[in-house]
Amino acid sequence: MKLATIGIGNAGTKILDRMLEFEYNTDRNLCRHALAINTARTDLAKPDFVPEDRRVLIGDTHQKAKGHGVGGDVEIGADVAKTDIEEIRRAFDDVEIHDVDAILVSAGLGGGTGSGAGPVVIDELQKMYDEPVYGLGVLPGKYEGGRPALNAARSLQSFVTNVDNFIAFDNDAWRMRDQTIEEGYEDMNRELATRIVTLLAAGEQDNTEVAENAMDSSDIMRTLDTGGVSSIGYASSKVDEEAGLIGKFRGDGQDFDDGATDAAKIKGLVRRAVNSRLTIPCEVSSADRALIVLSGPPETFARKGLESARQWLEQEADTVEVLAGDDPRDNAAELSAVVLLSNVTETPRIKELQSQAVDAQEKIKAQDAVREQEIEDLITDEDNELDPVI
Amino acid sequence: MKFALVGVGGAGCRLVDRIMQVEQNSDRSFSGGNVLAYDTDKSIFETLDAVPLDRHVLVGDTHEALGSTGADGDIDQAAAVAQEDRDELHREFDKLDLHEMDAVFVAAGFGGGTGGGVGPVIVEALTAVSELPIYVLGVLPTTAEDATITVNAARSLQSFVTHGDNTLLFDNESWYDEERSLAEQYEELNELLAHRLLAVFAAGERQSADIAENRLDTSDVMRIMETGGVSTLGYAEIAVHNPTTLFQRLRALFYNGEEETTDAIRITQLVKAAANSELTLPCDRTSTERALVVLSGPPHLCSRKGFEKARQWLEQETETVVVLAGDEPRPTADDLRVAVLFSNVTTVPRIEELKESALTAIRDQS
Repeated sequence: MKLATIGIGNAGTKILDRMLEFEYNTDRNLCRHALAINTARTDLAKPDFVPEDRRVLIGDTHQKAKGHGVGGDVEIGADVAKTDIEEIRRAFDDVEIHDVDAILVSAGLGGGTGSGAGPVVIDELQKMYDEPVYGLGVLPGKYEGGRPALNAARSLQSFVTNVDNFIAFDNDAWRMRDQTIEEGYEDMNRELATRIVTLLAAGEQDNTEVAENAMDSSDIMRTLDTGGVSSIGYASSKVDEEAGLIGKFRGDGQDFDDGATDAAKIKGLVRRAVNSRLTIPCEVSSADRALIVLSGPPETFARKGLESARQWLEQEADTVEVLAGDDPRDNAAELSAVVLLSNVTETPRIKELQSQAVDAQEKIKAQDAVREQEIEDLITDEDNELDPVI
Repeated sequence: MKFALVGVGGAGCRLVDRIMQVEQNSDRSFSGGNVLAYDTDKSIFETLDAVPLDRHVLVGDTHEALGSTGADGDIDQAAAVAQEDRDELHREFDKLDLHEMDAVFVAAGFGGGTGGGVGPVIVEALTAVSELPIYVLGVLPTTAEDATITVNAARSLQSFVTHGDNTLLFDNESWYDEERSLAEQYEELNELLAHRLLAVFAAGERQSADIAENRLDTSDVMRIMETGGVSTLGYAEIAVHNPTTLFQRLRALFYNGEEETTDAIRITQLVKAAANSELTLPCDRTSTERALVVLSGPPHLCSRKGFEKARQWLEQETETVVVLAGDEPRPTADDLRVAVLFSNVTTVPRIEELKESALTAIRDQS
């Protein structure tokens, strides 16, 4: 697939940056256009792979932002994007939309910019183009607190309504130990980038090395066509060079067992991908459609293996709409299986997030309601015998 | 973040002077020299070291009502004079370069005639001429001071909180050492407050600073402060071993192999220590509406898990859902510092006490 990609806010920009990094390191060419949009000038200085002229600061003239972020306020995030919509639109002038199959917008949903400006940008993209617009959104962890949960629960509604499909990443499930603040979410973002790029880059080399069973962009798009929230599973194993070589020698059919072993290996890899930590944990059987991409050196592929993995997933996901295909990568060091579970409807974390958000909203409302009175009570005496100076 | 800094009255001017000195001795930028010092008593200006001469503003020198030593504790007189001279006070604002600023801090002792009387007029004037948030940095008197001072403080508190966008308080009563005279301690108390103030409001403003991962943007700080009301600061620091040369690092690795596992715990404990430290204005922490926590130190010692856990703890502790957290990397520092801002605290025993004493004093007079 070929994509135009947009990272919005700090988290969205970092994910985009890691996607570009992964793509660069693995000789993929998925993101034909990359654009970073943020409200904080300092954060826009951070990316390593997003070119400087593809970074857009919005809200620098907005009274409440001034280029210093939106303070985690989704309303201001949305307002800033609406005000600067012309500037955002202009940034798309150089995008050759005919060159791409779809647009991907990445954002963190817990902050103010990604969650607020994200849906505004997506809405605009939907108006401008016929190509599908996908969302890649990070849900804040429970530990991040009530306010981010509220931002995310509200923003999730806008995202899912406005995008053609929303691929979710749950910070809670992926929280890693022993990291410094400086390292931040780097490792998590790398994991996410590996999954999303491996999945969507399949079928980008439409004309080069067309394997019989090659995954096609239209297959991926068809699977994503369901709308709703999707989750990705991933597993990989190192390609043992020696074994690969032997495998090639045996390719002449001398060893009948070998096909079966490779097939078993591939089926095992796919099962591992589904049973691994998904980008958002979910009930696999609640998926509407599913898709398997097997990516690696073509000599490691076994068609029988992929077909039996596909059948297995059909049962597991309880759907007849399971597509499977190869993504041949000659020089890949790993054989990886990536599984897309499209429109999963049972995701415990989203339910939990929503109830956390409801609690937070009630608390904030309660505080708002008594604020003026409490301040008044603090500074004045009951009988108003004390007068202010002015 | 860029703040204009305005001192009013003896205590306010001295505090501004001290903040400027602390700022100049650090590599942080807070006011960048955008200061003004207002007083009715000329002699105060002679005690200022950092505030330049052209930023001294004498209020009411043409008014007979004010003697040569200024307002002498009469806040109504001082406020009246300031109201009359409003235009002149305004004109001085031009020196502040307000267009370039993010907010203004007006520092004043609430008990003084000038601080408590002229202060609110200046705060009101600033809110009238500028769209910037106007914050108050106020000092509450000790209980040992005159009844007039107590009444002044209780009354000016109302005006400051009503007209300012947020009022950050320091309580002399809680902090001064009764064994010594208060005048002796001004310097150290001001210094202490200045350090805390810069730890929160000048975080990440170091020259040639590394970009923080969770940098606190001006908008974040504004958001915490936008509640209005009264706020207070907590602070804690701890010395750490931060080997900066390769040799030191190798040696540290050899001797302290197990140290890293405790990084997370150390950060959590330090945040707790800051939140539970003696606040600039002691209060019931659960009455806080919003909070902000800033962690500053060598980045490799700032455990994310520890900081996340600490933020979560603070959210539970303060019973609020708006707790923002930010970090400030200082690669070569040999300490970790945490500052906590509790915004809009509404259960404050010291303020209740102040109001009571003021009422008693008023009743005694009549």
